[in-house]
Amino acid sequence: MYKQTINSFGGEPTSVIRLSDGACIPFAQDNTDYQEYLKWVAEGNTPEPAEGA
Amino acid sequence: MSTIAAGTTTTNALVSTGDTTGALVLQTNGTTTAVTIDTSQNVTFVNSANLPNTFGFKNRIINGAMIFDQRNAGASGTATGYTVDRWAYYGAVASKGTWQQNAGSVTPPAGYTNYLGFTSSSAYTVGASENFQIYQFIEGYNSADLGFGAAGASTVTLSFWVRSSLTGTFGGALLNSAANRSYPFTYSISSANTWEQKSITIAGDTSGTWLTTTGVGIQVNFGLGVGSTLSGTAGAWASALYVSATGATSVVGTNGATWYVTGVQLEKGSTATSFDVRPYGTELFLCQRYYWSKALETSYSSIASGAMITTSIARMNVVYPTKMRTSPTITTSNIGNSIISTGLDLNPSGTFTAYINTTSAMMDIDTPATGTVGRGAVWIFGATATTLAASAEL
Repeated sequence: MYKQTINSFGGEPTSVIRLSDGACIPFAQDNTDYQEYLKWVAEGNTPEPAEGA
Repeated sequence: MSTIAAGTTTTNALVSTGDTTGALVLQTNGTTTAVTIDTSQNVTFVNSANLPNTFGFKNRIINGAMIFDQRNAGASGTATGYTVDRWAYYGAVASKGTWQQNAGSVTPPAGYTNYLGFTSSSAYTVGASENFQIYQFIEGYNSADLGFGAAGASTVTLSFWVRSSLTGTFGGALLNSAANRSYPFTYSISSANTWEQKSITIAGDTSGTWLTTTGVGIQVNFGLGVGSTLSGTAGAWASALYVSATGATSVVGTNGATWYVTGVQLEKGSTATSFDVRPYGTELFLCQRYYWSKALETSYSSIASGAMITTSIARMNVVYPTKMRTSPTITTSNIGNSIISTGLDLNPSGTFTAYINTTSAMMDIDTPATGTVGRGAVWIFGATATTLAASAEL
């Protein structure tokens, strides 16, 4: 399970929070945790909205 | 009087004998001295020496001596994931064994202080498509020069010290990133509970796709129990996913069996040379390209500095020890125990958002809404069990 983040600089978020351990995962193609997140999304899952969104 | 004569054995085919007083001099380009061997057998090269397997930084493996264990600090684990730095464990079925730095507290081989150990916790019969393994992913940048995947690929030699309570034939494999090219290998352990040094020479793979940048260049795999589907014929490249050799001993198949390893080296060439002992700090830097953690070292350790950007958010600039392979995943533990020092100490609530790149991260740390906007702040770990970690593992 994941939760979206808000980009306080405006624009698209640059990371997502992994709820199991609170890790902040950057949207970087070579990051294996991001690759896992993309796989999770591709399976039809949706991250929780960011707080305050 | 000096002489040059044919040798008398296959190991000294040509013998140059100096006289009783002078040095032996080799000349090139006419009478230009290239190499001198003096009467004390010291060798001097007039110009550069091209000895690719002799000098430092020849080992493509990082933390081959199992010195660094940033994640676990010597604690044991059973889960799939990273053990000591750069070395990961995969178990197809949970809780079939325990991994730990210096498991069993045996004396390492001479010259080493650490090893990685695995202890089987049951007598498990591995399924055909199941595998248990210890492995390291070598980054493509560190293997690109080997030229795998094309004609002229370099021969490599894998060497390591291993010790097991079992004897027999054990296995492992080299693989590419896509795991569709693999080279199963075997090694034998002849004496139980005795360190033995092994080396396996492998002709470079001239086929397949081998990554050469930040992806997995080569996977070095030691099997601890691998099913038949994932095992292949030793000593040949195959277009298949093999993580070990057919018929290899299964460590997880014997309750209480141990398998320890250290001094792992993968180098260019067909000869296993001495282990590449790099400076302690240098080896740690190499590890930190993939993972680092900051924890309390003394009473109150400063972690980062920044400022309050709202009354409830401290923006901290966290600078990494070195440039990481990719933008890392950042994790924290117990940061509620830490302090945002602004003159008024604030304890973080435990949540944060980070803007992450490969050299630093800007972390917006949530605090109670009692801060003063614009005030400078230092992030301090003031209690035990507080950590900040970044992972860019392959």
